[in-house]
Amino acid sequence: MASGKFFSMSLAFLIVYTLYVNFGYVRFMDAQLYNVYLYDPAGEQETVSASVRRVSSKKELKKAILDDTNSVGIDASTGEPRLVFYEAAEETDRHRADYALSLLLPAGKADTRVIGSRTPEQRARKEITCELLFFEIAAVGFLGIAAVLFKEKSMGVIKVHAILPIRENVFLLSKLVIFLLSDLIFALLLTLLNVGAASAVHILPGVLLQTGLLSLMMALTGLVCALLLKDFRQFTLAYLVIAIFAASPVFLVANTAVKWDWVRFHPFYHIYMGLKNAYFGTDAEGVYYYLGYLAVIILLFLWARRVFCREMRREG
Amino acid sequence: MKGLRYQLKSVLRDKFCLMTFLLPIVVAAVLHFAGQIDFSSLGGFQFGVVENGEAVKAAAWLERYGSVTVYESQEELAEGINEPSTNVIGVEADGDGIRTIVSGDELDMYRQTAKKLPDLYRHRKRLAQAKVQVLERPDVLAGFQDMFMAVTLIVAMFMGCTFNAMNMISEKEDGVASVNEILPMSRSQYLLQKISVGFICGCLSAVLTAGICFRLSAQDTVIMLMLIILSGFVAALFGLIIGRAAEGLMVGMVYIKIVMLLFIAVPILSFLVGGSHPFLSAVCYLVPSQAAFEGIMDLSAGNTAEVKDMVILVSHCIVWFLLYLGMFGRRRSFLKFLKG
Repeated sequence: MASGKFFSMSLAFLIVYTLYVNFGYVRFMDAQLYNVYLYDPAGEQETVSASVRRVSSKKELKKAILDDTNSVGIDASTGEPRLVFYEAAEETDRHRADYALSLLLPAGKADTRVIGSRTPEQRARKEITCELLFFEIAAVGFLGIAAVLFKEKSMGVIKVHAILPIRENVFLLSKLVIFLLSDLIFALLLTLLNVGAASAVHILPGVLLQTGLLSLMMALTGLVCALLLKDFRQFTLAYLVIAIFAASPVFLVANTAVKWDWVRFHPFYHIYMGLKNAYFGTDAEGVYYYLGYLAVIILLFLWARRVFCREMRREG
Repeated sequence: MKGLRYQLKSVLRDKFCLMTFLLPIVVAAVLHFAGQIDFSSLGGFQFGVVENGEAVKAAAWLERYGSVTVYESQEELAEGINEPSTNVIGVEADGDGIRTIVSGDELDMYRQTAKKLPDLYRHRKRLAQAKVQVLERPDVLAGFQDMFMAVTLIVAMFMGCTFNAMNMISEKEDGVASVNEILPMSRSQYLLQKISVGFICGCLSAVLTAGICFRLSAQDTVIMLMLIILSGFVAALFGLIIGRAAEGLMVGMVYIKIVMLLFIAVPILSFLVGGSHPFLSAVCYLVPSQAAFEGIMDLSAGNTAEVKDMVILVSHCIVWFLLYLGMFGRRRSFLKFLKG
């Protein structure tokens, strides 16, 4: 297995992810507030904020807000400022209008209290690293595991095992330990390379614990799939369902302001949040979370053992 | 023609191919309907105040701009602000005015909003009298959704790649490929049939997707059709190359994944980076989907696609076709030469 493509694939993904985080994500993910364009030919507005961009004609103003439809245009050519912009959501529109106009009014002292200790870049790095790690283990790694197991199955490894004097537990455990180790090393490297060694040190134990649990669960699921399904082609169908099920609602809810109540019933939501909390150093998981997790892993293990024994009987 | 019918039949029996065929169509439909939901509201502001604090009075005013969450204690508010998946702006009273609390790790726009919020509150009466003219959003869909549609269409267009590759690899695994070798069918016939399978399915999928996503004028429809046909052909060629190169199903899947990832990632990358790097965007054209993507984006923006994109696509067709012949045609004759 060491010579197989599984490890080189993991390594390739590690490199791709690291490049993406360091050269792509951190640079692109900076949303600015709306631009404000002002047309004020007579220069009547006295207290104009430095963040307002001046344009020299009505036509230019029109073009500016059309090119950048989130921006706000202020036409002060008649003396009284008139706001003009393209509609978005109602609340955003109100804020845009008020914000733009307030830039023409004298600004008070801006004293915003900062209570957190992270910089935006640190947060972005942690967020994306967490997402990539979750995606890698739940989707990519899972596919790799199943691919390796299917290959072994077709090579007749199980048949050989049926006549070898090794207990079935040993076979299953040996598989799990290898995948677990590879996932842990992957998580370790990914975190160190992308979050930065200094801030990674104290979150690593939590991250590795969550990674280990997730890895065990996905490896066991992959094992069960490999034993139950006839061939890899059938597996790709099952895989698609599992991958979409595992990944899609989680990202939406965990990263955007959409909050659906039913997501509480989605097991992968809790798993993802567990990993995310580990990255941000807040442990919100109670005893029930870990108990549930362990129960699922044990059940999956027993199931895998059962189908494995059945497979051995059939083969041998 | 009869051969082709068998080919199509064998492809349609394959659930995997059928799913890859339907996937972009479903995504297009979802995007089309999701387009009517305004995603900008997802970026609405979230404010937090403490229950018995003075700032609760400002809550009604804050609701003009977004949702307000009332926390029971100062600690809970701080926790809510620091929560990494949200961008809650804390608000507390400060004499007559308000003061904002942020975590400091928010995106720039939230920090700026927080910084400006006390001013908005101070001027709230003056601001309420503002004269506002709200224009309707232009018919062209907002930038990112456009990009998603174009990418979906790209996926549909280049689906032919998956079809051909899967088709050929499964033939290889079943041993049909060896049977084909001794059948009285010329290589050009084989090539033609295989290309046609991926080509027809890819084009069909793309046409349906485009039909759902875009409303085009007659002239634009012709251009879109040309784009689809050309990219469908390139995709079919790619599928052929993968099908020949891959020894097994799993290796083939990895190849397909890599090719699809490249085809999707490169246009998105060049779209995001924009025209600021002329060298980079020139390099991007080495991937055939880039030209198709640019063409689709031009069409959806209401411009006619540039001739440049078409020419690049056509040259991709020619180059990859020659490459295929070079890679596999010659190797075969070389083997023949060795044997005999």
